[in-house]
Amino acid sequence: MNDGNQEIRVGFVGNPNCGKTTLFNAFTGARLKVANWPGVTVERMEGMTSYKGIPIRVIDTPGIYSLSCYTLEEKVTRKCLEDGEVDVIVNVLDASSLERNLYLTLQLLELNIPVVLALNMIDIVEERGMEINLPKLSDMLGGISVAAVSARNRSGLKELLSAVVNPNKSIRKIPVVAYTPKIENKISKIQTILKSNDKSLDNIRWYAIKYLEHDEKIMTEHPIQLDHMIDQNYEKEIISQKYNRIEEIIKACLVKKEQGVQRTDAADRFLTHPILGVPIFLGIMALVFFLTFTVGDFLKGYFEIALDYVSVFMRQLMIGIHASGWITSLVVDGIIAGVGGILTFLPNIFILFLALAFLEDSGYMARVAYVMNEIMGRVGLSGKAFLPMLLGFGCTVPAVMAARALPSERDRKRTILITPFMSCSARLPIYVLFSEMFFPDHALMVAYSLYLVGLLVAIAIAFGSRRLLGRGEEDVLLIELPEYKAPNGKTVGIYVWDKVKDYLSKAGTTIFLATIVLWFVLNGGPSGFVTDVENSFAAMIGRTLVPVLRPAGLGDWRIAVALISGLSAKEVVVSSFSVLFGVNNINSAAGMSNLLGSLGSFGFNGVNAYAFMIFCLLYSPCIAAVATIKKETGSLSWTIGMVLFQIFIAWGAAVLVFQIGSLIL
Amino acid sequence: MKLHEGEIGKTYIVYSVMVKDAITRRLEALGVTELTPITLMNKKGSGTVIIKVRGTRLALGRKISEGIEIREAASHE
Repeated sequence: MNDGNQEIRVGFVGNPNCGKTTLFNAFTGARLKVANWPGVTVERMEGMTSYKGIPIRVIDTPGIYSLSCYTLEEKVTRKCLEDGEVDVIVNVLDASSLERNLYLTLQLLELNIPVVLALNMIDIVEERGMEINLPKLSDMLGGISVAAVSARNRSGLKELLSAVVNPNKSIRKIPVVAYTPKIENKISKIQTILKSNDKSLDNIRWYAIKYLEHDEKIMTEHPIQLDHMIDQNYEKEIISQKYNRIEEIIKACLVKKEQGVQRTDAADRFLTHPILGVPIFLGIMALVFFLTFTVGDFLKGYFEIALDYVSVFMRQLMIGIHASGWITSLVVDGIIAGVGGILTFLPNIFILFLALAFLEDSGYMARVAYVMNEIMGRVGLSGKAFLPMLLGFGCTVPAVMAARALPSERDRKRTILITPFMSCSARLPIYVLFSEMFFPDHALMVAYSLYLVGLLVAIAIAFGSRRLLGRGEEDVLLIELPEYKAPNGKTVGIYVWDKVKDYLSKAGTTIFLATIVLWFVLNGGPSGFVTDVENSFAAMIGRTLVPVLRPAGLGDWRIAVALISGLSAKEVVVSSFSVLFGVNNINSAAGMSNLLGSLGSFGFNGVNAYAFMIFCLLYSPCIAAVATIKKETGSLSWTIGMVLFQIFIAWGAAVLVFQIGSLIL
Repeated sequence: MKLHEGEIGKTYIVYSVMVKDAITRRLEALGVTELTPITLMNKKGSGTVIIKVRGTRLALGRKISEGIEIREAASHE
């Protein structure tokens, strides 16, 4: 089939959660995100690999259950296949759930594109004492190549590539699913009409079957006159006849020896318990934050020592080379204080993402949709909408993208609206710093309370927006619950490393630039360099906002400037404090007491600090998140409206906290 | 009886699926069709259920579980 070194384009197609993305990564070495709940591959990904010198372009498609046209994922995948964008389909199957996965296979085989079967998770099949007769399976599917692989253990990959490069040439021409004579008769009649109508169609059986299923896409793209040929929708009959065929295949090819109660069933008895489910979930989240703060803080000390050393060393170096005062100040008080200060929070971020990766890879995440379904139902959203919110604890950007898995446009927008209220990891440094400074004895409780406030505000706004945007569909949760598994070291490793890398590159780019810009507006004024920061540009900008922020207890121009610069990335709020108040190593005990003194000098106390944290929790997400929201909703006006709304909510909540707090204390 | 009226741990046969078209199709693609055996794994008072069907676990909301009519596996004709 392949002569010379012409590139082969291979499309990876399969059900959600069958390990497509893991397999894709194993092949291309790409570090794509792998998650253990449906809907995570929302965009098509491409990568390159090769076999015996033949370049192979691998395309990862979103997980789908069927080749109909009802969801975004199905449309993306179908377009890719129907438009001839792939030469070979690698149909990835979760071999441990063969019966359900074969439904898509039977549809793919009708497309008339060479198909290679990749039976993934073959190790799990073996672990469970099951056996699949591969030659028989290949035979019953018309002689296509079948490869047993394990993306986790990286086994069987060579065999799969070899099958891709040399798809079985002796494939029989007879259809894999022979429908009843009534349907076959109609198929052949429609084929004749299609052929006379458009000679370029090469997979007319596929089109004919889709016509019988009343497939909208085909009917509008290839209109033909069928008169009374399709008097009804034959979709149900076609589906059930496909499943009849699957049953025959399963009977002949699968030897099942499932013994005893499986671990998943046992674990689910507790984790999805009708009453205990919610407390267990809240307990797990509390544990995640407890670990984030305690273990993270333990590791933090070493980072601070290193930062102090670098700071002192750089200052001496600058003096040593006789650098001018302002450059020394820019490097040491600007860049090292700002960027370095942010880096000391890395241990906390690391632990948070490690815990989230464990939850995702173990299979627990999808259960949360079931557990939270009733609570979300009260505010008119399905439990499935809780998954993007949960991801929001990590970063708002992927969380907003994950909302695509929701079936209706309205629910997607509502979920996108509330996801930014979930405290992303960038807000963590703000909480760590301010709760430890102002509430040293209850720092953990204060920080956890902010996570809960974010969650409650999100739920309250979902409730309010239900009235505004109308009721959604009633409880139509439908989600697949994967089997629990021990988290895979590599998957968790990639996930966490990705996040740490993101954080480091953000420190090196956005935060770095924001810090430099801030240093300049702080040290420059209308008359050039200023010696008194009160005359700087920063002070001028900040002062205009002071009257608005005063009722929230945030009436200082430096706080206003920190909040504005936080729009570039929320971590910048903390680095800005370093620069604005001239505090080096802000996260250390000395740095904190230094900043505490400066803040205290204008009466900033615990109530102000809590109002400040509430404001940071709720106000507009960072630029990257706003851009993602614009892209996902496709509406600039909606996005701007959302940002203004969130700033307003933040201001209102902060005012409320400050005014009530000041009355009580 | 309706799916959510079943007993936890018992296996039933799907008798009919009467939910919105798009959801029917989704269920069909997942293998929840008439005469399919399903096992009720867990349920909540609200009608949200977890079922095991064709080797897969699915969580279904009330609106769906109410629309699935089931029969006991033994008494199926």
